[in-house]
Formats: sequence, structure tokens, C-alpha cells
Amino acid sequence: MSLPNPATPVKLVLLGEAAVGKSSLVLRFVSNDFQENKEPTIGAAFLTQKCTIGDRTIKYEIWDTAGQERFASLAPMYYRNAQAALVVYDITKPASFIKARHWVKELHEQASKDITIALVGNKYDLVESDEGGEEEDSLRKVSIEEGKSLAAEENLLFFETSAKTSYNVNDVFIGIGSKIPSASSTEAANQQSHVSEGRVDLSGGVNNRGQDACPC
Amino acid sequence: MAFFEALRDRAVNTINQVLDNKKSDLGLSKDERFCREYNLPDGEVILDETAAEIGIKHERVQPQAQSQSQSQAHGNNRPHSNSSANQLDILPQGRLYLTPHFLVFRDAFDRKACSFTLHLSTIKKVERLPTRSYVYALSTTTHSRLIITFYLVGVRPESEKFAHNLKLSLRANLPNVSKLQPFIQTLYSEYLLSKNNVSLEKVEEVPPGGLGLKFKFPGNAKDSRDKSKMKLWFDLLRTDGRNLSVIKTPMFYRLVRVGLPNRLRGEIWELCCGSMYYRLDNPDEYSKILQVNEGKQSLAKEEIEKDLNRSLPEYVAYQSPEGIERLRRVLTAYSWKNPDVGYCQAMNIVVAALLIYMSEEQAFWCLNVLCDRIVPGYYSKTMYGTLLDQRVFESLVQETMPILWEHITKYDIQLSVVSLPWFLSLYLSSMPLVFAFRIIDVFFLQGPKTLFQVALAIIKLNGEELLKTEDDGTFIQILKNYFQTLDQSAHPNSPNEKYRAITKFQELLVTAFKEFSVIDEDAINKHRAKHRDTIFQNISTFVKRTELRNLPKTAFTQEALSIIYDRFYSMVESYNVTMASGSSLMDFKAFTKFMSEICDWCYAYEDGDSEKGSAGELSNPIETSFLKRLFNHWDTEDQGAITLSDLVVGLNRLTAPDLMENMANFFELYDHKGNGKIDREGILQMSEDLLYITTPWKEASLLDSITERDIEQVIADQIVKQKKQQGSDTEGEIIVPSEIDIDDNEKQRLINQQVERYLSGASTFIQRAFEYAQPQEEEVLLEELSITDNKISHNAALNPNAPVYINLPTFRMVVLADETYELLFSKTFSSSIHVDKPLDSKFKTIRNLRDMFDGLLADGRKVATQVRRRMDSAASNAKHNSGNNSSPDSASLKSAKKEEEEYRDDDFGVIAIDEKDKDLLLGAEAQVLTDPVRHKTTGSSSDISKFHKAEAEAEAASHSPRETNLIEFEHD
Repeated sequence: MSLPNPATPVKLVLLGEAAVGKSSLVLRFVSNDFQENKEPTIGAAFLTQKCTIGDRTIKYEIWDTAGQERFASLAPMYYRNAQAALVVYDITKPASFIKARHWVKELHEQASKDITIALVGNKYDLVESDEGGEEEDSLRKVSIEEGKSLAAEENLLFFETSAKTSYNVNDVFIGIGSKIPSASSTEAANQQSHVSEGRVDLSGGVNNRGQDACPC
Repeated sequence: MAFFEALRDRAVNTINQVLDNKKSDLGLSKDERFCREYNLPDGEVILDETAAEIGIKHERVQPQAQSQSQSQAHGNNRPHSNSSANQLDILPQGRLYLTPHFLVFRDAFDRKACSFTLHLSTIKKVERLPTRSYVYALSTTTHSRLIITFYLVGVRPESEKFAHNLKLSLRANLPNVSKLQPFIQTLYSEYLLSKNNVSLEKVEEVPPGGLGLKFKFPGNAKDSRDKSKMKLWFDLLRTDGRNLSVIKTPMFYRLVRVGLPNRLRGEIWELCCGSMYYRLDNPDEYSKILQVNEGKQSLAKEEIEKDLNRSLPEYVAYQSPEGIERLRRVLTAYSWKNPDVGYCQAMNIVVAALLIYMSEEQAFWCLNVLCDRIVPGYYSKTMYGTLLDQRVFESLVQETMPILWEHITKYDIQLSVVSLPWFLSLYLSSMPLVFAFRIIDVFFLQGPKTLFQVALAIIKLNGEELLKTEDDGTFIQILKNYFQTLDQSAHPNSPNEKYRAITKFQELLVTAFKEFSVIDEDAINKHRAKHRDTIFQNISTFVKRTELRNLPKTAFTQEALSIIYDRFYSMVESYNVTMASGSSLMDFKAFTKFMSEICDWCYAYEDGDSEKGSAGELSNPIETSFLKRLFNHWDTEDQGAITLSDLVVGLNRLTAPDLMENMANFFELYDHKGNGKIDREGILQMSEDLLYITTPWKEASLLDSITERDIEQVIADQIVKQKKQQGSDTEGEIIVPSEIDIDDNEKQRLINQQVERYLSGASTFIQRAFEYAQPQEEEVLLEELSITDNKISHNAALNPNAPVYINLPTFRMVVLADETYELLFSKTFSSSIHVDKPLDSKFKTIRNLRDMFDGLLADGRKVATQVRRRMDSAASNAKHNSGNNSSPDSASLKSAKKEEEEYRDDDFGVIAIDEKDKDLLLGAEAQVLTDPVRHKTTGSSSDISKFHKAEAEAEAASHSPRETNLIEFEHD
């Protein structure tokens, strides 16, 4: 009955363009593994992993979503009730950063109000070697400053990671965990508010903050 | 009024249109439903139908090949059918249909006892049998030597008609018969029979087939008793015909359910789903699509490329270039064939699976039928079919397993999230391939209800375990484990050996197809109809949200953008909304409708207004020319149509609040070359368009703010006058009466003033534009070099042969020279475009004089200010002049007049202009536009003299003091 560390369940959703490495980040975090050719995620994959931060244990319930554009209309089903989100982009693909911007906006407008979002620029391994040098032909197409400034603007956590080398991967989940309020009451309240009819609920969370949706 | 009603009718929003579209899906025509039921290609129509009894026998090719397959034979012999010893006589009753390419029969019992879809190309011979007078019998022989006798039931003339129609169809189909022979060479069934010497067809080569032929088929052929299955099929093909002329008996269904043999699987799939007919009809299309689009790039291609190495990677063929190449070609060909769908993740897995058993061409057509017919909307850009069917699945669970559903709801387990991949990848990504293929065998035969039946059975069989779960994680884990153990015994602890031998997969199929057989097409469609609206609403909301977010930044509010969005989609093809976001285009006709709904100066004819023009056409060609100009200018991609983004950006520029910017934007519309110069033709166009745009004010159906100010003054004067008469105090609050009596003449005077202002504005605009137009340098140098006289060079600007242009500063100067036109660009024009007018609001642009008066009185503040000003100035006048002015009333009127004058007075004065001056303006245009001959006939001498007068006036005006001010704008 009285376990020393009752794990706090935290629902976390991964969003981002196709092939930026969402599933790979999860695989690295959950199994400390990496696969070069991962099958595309159909709809969403579900995985769990515990993570201890100080005296707290968090049980991440991870919803890893499909990245292809058209699956975006399914996303509200997945980020419903999520307390945390990783918005992932590929630092070598500028388009994926634009997509990340959209996801952040979508989450701010439609997801739970107090959702913790981390912006994650993945595939750091591809630019690692030429960091420091001012090489023109660097693979990096999204600068760390751009990422930081979007994060500051939208109040997000920010990391650059490599699922391949595992650089910074655990830090993302630890960072998110430390920001999640420990009170499980908020989560319970959240859950209740969404259990209504329309189970395939595309309109996302109930807290419609559409009014704040000014273009940046 | 018909106009308003038509407008309201049109003002339905996107969703409704989408819904209507979908509803019509259910309300298919009889022919369409018929095509769906029998998986015929679209476009087949029932030419004739009749009740009939069927007799089938098979003409043995090799008499020595004795068979034991007379299991279906009934003893009921007809007098004529005593010919062959090996005959297989069944006499099912049912209905016979004739379409242009098919002869379709279904039995009256359950449609499964005996049914067939004969392609007319397979019919070798039809003869009328000599029968007793009351029976009309036709005997047909197919290419597979099947002799089918139809006993037509009904009155003789009807039967004769049917026979005649059959003859006509057969004759019309003759050109298609040549496709049959090459097609037969691609069918494994024909190869099989030919190799075993039981066919007249010669098929020497192994027909192109799936990757399994080379890389081995998945699973263990021994375990699946592939050889025995093949033998059963071999017998069936011999007796019941094959491919395009197969007779489906209960045996056919049974053999599909026990699992298809590897080598025949692909062919039976395409036969069951009907893609075989498409392949027959379009023999070269697959290779042509690939050929035509070779080297082209597309988003779909990029997306496909990302997934090629991630499609059934465990199957050995997809570790080799050959497998990957086939997969790439089929997916790419489909993305070109149906760009609305393009490529959707999960299609890679489905196609990879098909290609194990099918040739590329077979897989290509099968994919077409799958995406367009069997599971429409599953892979579309919004995936509405997927979302809808997940909702349907949930409500089926709720209906059939209420206790479990309650549990799922209680713990907020997202069932649809769990089941979505089952449907989308046809179980291929969820369970071991061998089992998934067994489900797909049934799926192609029975249709999408199979997916639901299996899904329900999965939930049902795991119900007890699932009831113990309280979160998504455990829920998913239970099902994952279940899928991995499908080959294990369903009852491992049963003492009965037979029970123990039943695998979980067998149990699953029995549960799915027995217990959930009630979940048929009808039940599913009923549920789909119920949830369709909500799903489409949600998708529309999502698509809208996404698209609005992706629009370029403008000055519009979110509300205004939302209204523009709704209006845009109410005008364009509605199905696009379900297909994609951001891909819909608005053509010019829709654009004129759009503009006529939101712009005061744009009128499009409505339906029923036939006297003036057909619906959607504009009331005059000048209007078309201006709108066409806007349209072309906004069409950034030069594709003859504009996107929502183009529209929003264009409207934003058109309604720019800043005077200078607004003028610049307007100027740009005419600056075709983008060199900052507008030539003579452009100036004329511009002034014509300005005349057109200002029509509502020129005709006083709308009043601008100058007139509004005048009205205020008239009202204020009236109030002051009344107050004086009542002798009330000048101090205290000014109460604006709710009604005021203004003399009709006074009103008419106000209207006339406005009309005059606009006419004068138009007239002065064109005059000044040409006056300040600069000659094109080169030409001037050549032609006008010797002429030094100012007067002549000035005339040269009006000379149609001398090229001139105006630039932006000149344009601005010319506009700013006229108060009415200045106001037009600073306020009047932009406020005449009502972007934020709600979609279903009544069309009300006519602000007449009465309304204006009432409005001002109701508001009161403006008038009160005016009255206060008058009172104050009257009071101060009284103080200063201490009695000099005996009539404060007239003083106030005078001061009001003076104020008006000050407001009104530009340095050129108001040129007195009447209706005729419009002629003058047109005369000026005519002079420039028309050739000399025509000019002489149209332009009277008085017109010319008027023109000279106006010219003189303009010249006089150019020397007025304001000119120096105006010139400053040139440096602006």
C-alpha cells in the first residue's frame, strides 16, 4: 500500500514533422536504443517510462504521433489531456522548424491550458562535428538562437538533442518532469472535464483560447 | 426579393455543403448502387433486367479428366438438358441484369447460393434454345467452356426484348474482346488450368505475380495446407468458371474464408474487389502514368521516399532493390493517378503487402479500388473516413458491449486511438502477417464491414482482461500480447482435444463472422450517417484553424478572417475541404460572386434575373474589367485562380487604411510592367474604373462622409432654429430630437451636391491625369523636338499618337486635388468593402437619405456637437457684436454655410456639372479612344467645344494657388 514513491503519471505527446526523429527520441529514452530505419508510426504509438527526479518518480505515458501532414487532423485525439508535449524539429530542415511553430500555436490554442511544452531540435549529431567552426556548408539550417528565441517567445523549454548519440535526450524528460506541478489534483480535474461524448474529438481541449490567437 | 433570397441560399457555409455532398453518397442512384454492390466499374448502367432461372453445365475440355465435383448437382432435370453425362445442373432462380459490359445474375435466396458477373467479352456464343412455347431460353458459352442457360421468366415480348438488348450489348462490346487474350496471359488461374491440360487457353509463361514467387511467401505453406487449398480451387475453377466468368457458389465463399492459396491470392483479391475489371479495361494505364510522370517531383514522392525502407522491412523482398522498386513504382503511380489522395503513411504497408501476392499492375488497380471505393477517405488528406469509422467503431462497441464501454469511458481509455491502426493498415501492422492476410482475404470479398467485425471480436475476446485495465498503457499491452499469441490455443486447458486444437485466430474469425455478422453494411452506414455531421464539423474546424493560422499576416481580425474563410469556401468546390487544407482555388466566377457579396459597388446578377443577364454575370463590362484586373493581380501563381491566401492579401491591400498606401495599391493595379508608369490606355482604364467604383455615390444610393457632414449641419441648423424659436437657454444639455422635419428640397439639394461632386471628380481626374502626364522620353525626343510652344506640347499629351504616362506621385497629386477623390481613397472606398459582414447577414448596402438622417439623430453625439458649436459661436457673436447682428439665427446659418464652404472649397472651386458633363467625360475618352472616322460620327461639335471649355478650366485651375502644394507630392 504505502510505496515509498508513488509514481506521478504524466501524459506526454510528441508532435512534429515526419522523420524528424520523434519515435527515435522515445526509443532512446525508453529503451536506450537507436534504429536507423524505423517503421513509420501509424496514428500513434504508446510507450511508458519511469523517470526519477529528486524525490519524485514520474511515469511518462508517451504518445508518439505520426508526423505526416495529414495525420495532423488526428493530433487533437492524442494531445487531449496531455500535461506535457515535445514539439520536435530537425535542425537540418528549416521546414520542420516552421511546422514546429505551428504545433506550438496549435497546442497553445487547443491543448490543456497548463501544458508544459518543450521545443526540441533533434539530429544534433549531424552538425556536431562542425560546431565551433564557421563553416559555410554546415548541415545546420536552424540556428540555436532561432530555437531559443521561439522558446522564449512562447514560454517553452528548449533543447537540442541527438537520439542517435543520446545527447541531451534524458535532459529533455528531466526538464519537463521538473516543470510539471506535482499536485495530481490538476490532472484529475483535467481528466474529468474531457470525458464527455464526442470521443473522437478533433476540436481539442475545452479551453478555447482562440481569441489570443494573434499572428506572431 | 429574389435577390436576397438567392443570396441567403448561397450563403451556406462550407460544412453544410460538405455534408450535403456526403449525404448524396448515401442517396446513390440505382445504377450507382448496383455498381457498388457488384464491384463493377463506375459508369455501368442497367440496360435491362429480368427474372430468370439458371442452368449451368461445363463442357469438359479433356474428357479423361474425370472429376468428383458434382456435389452441387440437383436432380431436377429439364427436358432439354440431357446432353452431357458430366453436367452440373443447378437451377437457381433470381434476377438477371444486363449492363453495357456485364451480365450479372444473383439468386433470389441469399445472393450467395449462385451469383455471377460475366464480362461480355468472355461470352463466346449465345443461342436461343428450341423450347416449349412458354419458356424462353438462351444458352451462352463462355471462354472457359461454361454453358449457362437462362430461362427467362416473364411475358414473351419482354424476354425477346432482353435477348435483343443482350445481342446489342454483345455487338457493342466486340471491340473489347481483343483485350481478353492478352489479359488471360496475366492470370494465374488460366496458367494453372492450361498447365494441367484442362483449358483451351494456352498460357505458357508464368503470369507476372507477387514478390512471393521469387522471395517466398510469408508463413509456412505446409502449415497453411497450401497444396490442399490449391487443389480445391483447381476443382472449383474447372467447374464454376474462373476470373471474368466465375460463378460464385457457397463453395467459393468457403474457400476464401479458409484462406487463399499463395499463388492464387492476388487474382482472387482483384476478382473479389473488382479491380480486375479496371485492369482489363485499361491495359496500359499503369505503365503510361509512370512514363508520363517520369522525373517529376511532388510532395507525395518525397513522402513515399521517406517510407520505402520502412515498409514491412522484415520481409526479405523489401531488403532488396527489386522489392523497393516495385513498391516505389506502385505508390508513385497511384499518387499521380489520384493527387487528391497522393500518399498517406500506412499505404506503404498495405501496398507492400499486396505486392507479395500481386503484380505491380494488379496491386496498382487494387489500391485504386481500395482507396476510392472500399475505404474512401481513409487515406485522404484529412483522413475523414478513418476518423468517421473510428467513431462508428466506438459506437458499435457501445452498442454491443455496453459494460465494457462504460468501463472504457470511466477510465477515459481512448479506444479509437488504439484501433485506428487496425483499420488504416488493414491489421497488417498489428498482427503477424499470415493472420492479417487471412483477414484481408475476407475483407476483399465482404467489404469494409470485415474490419469492424474483426475489431469487435478482438475487443470481445479480450473483454474480461480489458475490464481490469484502468489506463491506456495496460489496455494496449493486453491487445499487443493477444496479437502475438494468435497462433496459440484458445482453450489450452480444455480436456477436450478438439477444443485445445482451436487457435485464438480461429476463435477470432468465428466470433467476428458469426457473432458479429449482424454488423453488416446497413448497420455501419446507419452509424456513419449518425456521426458524419460531427466528424465533418470537427474536421472543418480543424482545417479552418490550421488554414487561418497559415495565412500571411494582414490587418484583419481573426473574426474577419474567419468570415472571409467561410465565404471563400461557400463559393469554391466544397469537396476540397474534405480532401485537403489550403489546396482549394477560387475561379473568376466565384470571385465575382464573392466581391458582389461584400462590396457596395459590385453587383452580380442573380439566378432568375434572366432579363439582364445570366446568373453570376456582372451587370456591366466595365465592372468585369475592374474585377478581372483585381483577380489577375491577386493571382500570384498565375494559375487563373486564386487561393484563400491570395484573396486575404488582396483584400488587405484593397482596404488599406492609409491614404497614401491605398493610392499606391490602386496605382499598382494598372502598372502592368511594374516600372512605375501607367500609359494612356492605363489612364483611361483607371478613370473608367473609378467611374464604375464610385457608382453608388454617383447615383446617391450611398452617401459619403462629406454628405454626412452636410446633413449634420442641416440638422444642427434646424435644431438651433427650433431652440431659438422656443427661446430656450443656450446653456445646458442639448437634446437631439428623435425626428426632425427637413424640407424635401433641402434633401434633394444635398443629394445633388454629392452627385455633382462625384461627376466633377471623375471629370477632373481624367483631365488632370492627361494634363500632368509626362511624355515617354524617347518618342518625345524624336517627334516633338522642334515644337517649343507650350500650348502645343500640352495638346500633344491629349494626342492619341503621342505616348504619355503618369507615375505614382502624379497619380497621387491628381487624386489629392479633388476632395471627393481624396476621401474616396482615404475612407469611402475601403469602407465600401465589408470583409467582416457575416455570411448569412442580409445584404444591405443601400444607406438612403432617410436612414442617414435617422442614424445621425439616433446617434445624436455628432449632431449635438454641431449644435453646441453653433450655440457657442452664436453666443460669442452676440458678445462681440453686442446687438449688431439682430438675427442670430441667420448668423448661425451663415457661419454654418461658411464652414461648409471652407470644408468644401478646394482651390479649383466646384465646377458646376450636370448630367451632361458625364457626356463630356465620355466625350474626352471617346476622343482618345476612337479612331478619327468614328470620332466624327459620334462626337458632336458641342461635345468638342465643351471639352475645350473643360480643358480651359483645368488649365485655369492649374494656375491656382494650390498648385504649389500639389507639386510637393511629386517629391513625396
